[in-house]
Amino acid sequence: MIYRESGQFKKTYEADQAILPLRTDQIFMVGVLLVAFLVIPMVASNYVMNALLLPFLIYALAAIGLNLLVGYCGQISLGTGGFMAVGAFAAWNLATRTELPMPVIFLLAGLITAGTGVLFGLPALRIKGFYLAVTTLAAQFFLIWLLQRPWFNNYSPTGVISAPTVDMFGWTVDSVTDRYYLALIILVIMALIAKNIVRSSTGRKWMAIRDMDVAAEIIGIRPMATKLKAFAVSSFFIGIAGVLWGFLYLGQLEAEAFNIYVSFDVLFMIIIGGLGSILGSIIGAAFVVLVPIFLNVVPSAIGLPLGTAMISYVEIFIFGVLIIFFLIVEPHGIARLWSIVKQKLRLWPFPY
Amino acid sequence: MAANAADVTSRARSSEVLLKVEDVELRFGGVRALRGVSFEVRRGEIFSIIGPNGAGKSSMLNCINGFYHPTSGTITYKGQPRKAMRPYVTASQGVARTFQNIALFKGMSTLDNIMTGRHLKTKATLLENAFWFGRAKREEMEHRKFCEEIIDFLNLQHVRKTAVGTLPYGLQKRVELGRALAAEPELLLLDEPMAGMNLEEKQDMARFILDVNDEFGMTICLIEHDMGVVMDLSDSIVVLDHGEMIGQGTPEEVSNDPKVIEAYLGVQEEGEA
Ligand SMILES: Nc1ncnc2c1ncn2[C@@H]1O[C@H](COP(=O)(O)OP(=O)(O)OP(=O)(O)O)[C@@H](O)[C@H]1O
Ligand SMILES: [Mg+2]
Repeated sequence: MIYRESGQFKKTYEADQAILPLRTDQIFMVGVLLVAFLVIPMVASNYVMNALLLPFLIYALAAIGLNLLVGYCGQISLGTGGFMAVGAFAAWNLATRTELPMPVIFLLAGLITAGTGVLFGLPALRIKGFYLAVTTLAAQFFLIWLLQRPWFNNYSPTGVISAPTVDMFGWTVDSVTDRYYLALIILVIMALIAKNIVRSSTGRKWMAIRDMDVAAEIIGIRPMATKLKAFAVSSFFIGIAGVLWGFLYLGQLEAEAFNIYVSFDVLFMIIIGGLGSILGSIIGAAFVVLVPIFLNVVPSAIGLPLGTAMISYVEIFIFGVLIIFFLIVEPHGIARLWSIVKQKLRLWPFPY
Repeated sequence: MAANAADVTSRARSSEVLLKVEDVELRFGGVRALRGVSFEVRRGEIFSIIGPNGAGKSSMLNCINGFYHPTSGTITYKGQPRKAMRPYVTASQGVARTFQNIALFKGMSTLDNIMTGRHLKTKATLLENAFWFGRAKREEMEHRKFCEEIIDFLNLQHVRKTAVGTLPYGLQKRVELGRALAAEPELLLLDEPMAGMNLEEKQDMARFILDVNDEFGMTICLIEHDMGVVMDLSDSIVVLDHGEMIGQGTPEEVSNDPKVIEAYLGVQEEGEA
């Protein structure tokens, strides 16, 4: 994407407000989608799809959801894992206890998670920042505890239950390629929805609350309704990600699989990728999924294999450093660094 | 910005009272920020509140738009006595304002700030926004057009897409005015719109205020320390000191009032000497 923005003038407001106003960006995006839909399924091994691409796609969806709340509306949440669990268990129970078709189950699971999000978002009407973080942390632990009650896994003796086969409008999502496609399609659709929301009046209201809630209220924005809407939409996304995590990736459900580390991972993704950026959420997810694999492969390729323990230390170290760097130096993450690079390239090689 | 033909007649003051403040008291613990303030703002006029620092001017504006609630006294807006209400309700009744210490959405662009100011005019629901159909798209285009007019009016074209946090002070003040105008308010409250500006910027801002008042018939209630500006712009003035109203009237009346000269103008001259 080394190109010039200059010379591309928008003739209508409509064109200027499109999701990708620049022709070059549009072409790039089409390219990415072609690769994702056509090339990757042909070249990627089952192992790569299962261990790498599926978690990436699903994490990306969760990261978008969390970014809507944290990056756009400025409310903090450490309960992502818990909300993913709510989505997954809601879907499993609906699938086990009802005859509803799978698309409806997905939708309902999302809505149930949205409702849960609103419930735990209520404190945000009174408290901010650190205290809200602690409240959502409590939500995380509470939800995992709650979902470990036997009713939620239909009194399974082991507490582990297996996910039903997903049938989408007659398409039985079975092979790893199928699961990759379903996750990809859902991510693309929901990323588009997220993008639409943030470029609309809803998104501007969220950002207004984030940047200065007093001023937002004075121009007529209801802080309560606006924050709760952010909690609802964010949790909906995260709930769907939870369903996919359980049904497509794990195949087996267990509340513990959605523990606090999941919450942290998703939070790291949006900090590293870029707060307040949909694309950044996706980049961040790729980054967090790729770094461990990179550490596994590259040192041994250059003849310096690291032990497993060492890898996890280095991983923690890398994330720690990056998060401190981004929080202090560039809160808008990799997405912002990228746009700075683009800015510079636009003028290159003549900076003035 | 469709202006009512009747309002266009230059600086027309109608006899309709838009805002009536009666005997308003405001206390913060022991501090009596306002002590029995009463005045009337008529539709279409430029009304100024002046007074030395700490006189209670900002507090008065805060009471008018519901950010503070008077301890006692009544505020009547468009003939309706106002109960304690949240600022967003006041906003929906057509009151917009700017702040003494700029309160913009710093992470958002100039255009987005002004577009946000227009949010009371948007009806699209979350679902329409999510799928970009129905009112979502249509309204976005309409509002964009309207906001571009404001941007042209305030000469902000060159910073349209710039994050406002990075703009110089004078421009931020202008963006904030733009955001308030986007709501098409009936009553515009401006808290020291020219504070910290150089002479040229002040002249620009004065021009904008006059134009808004002339062309759109907007009623303006402003706080300003620069006496020259106040005397030039205002139709009527109220003078506060230590929360008390010590003078009221046209610019000539106020500037000749010995009490005002003593309490305020005198002080300011000393301060400047
Ligand atoms: N939220 C508050 N809590 C406590 N005291 C307040 C509050 N707001 C204002 N005051 C007090 O009320 C008095 C009037 O303040 P106000 O800000 O209205 O003055 P002002 O006329 O706008 O002054 P300036 O010219 O400095 O802006 C001051 O004594 C101030 O300390
Ligand atoms: Mg003040």
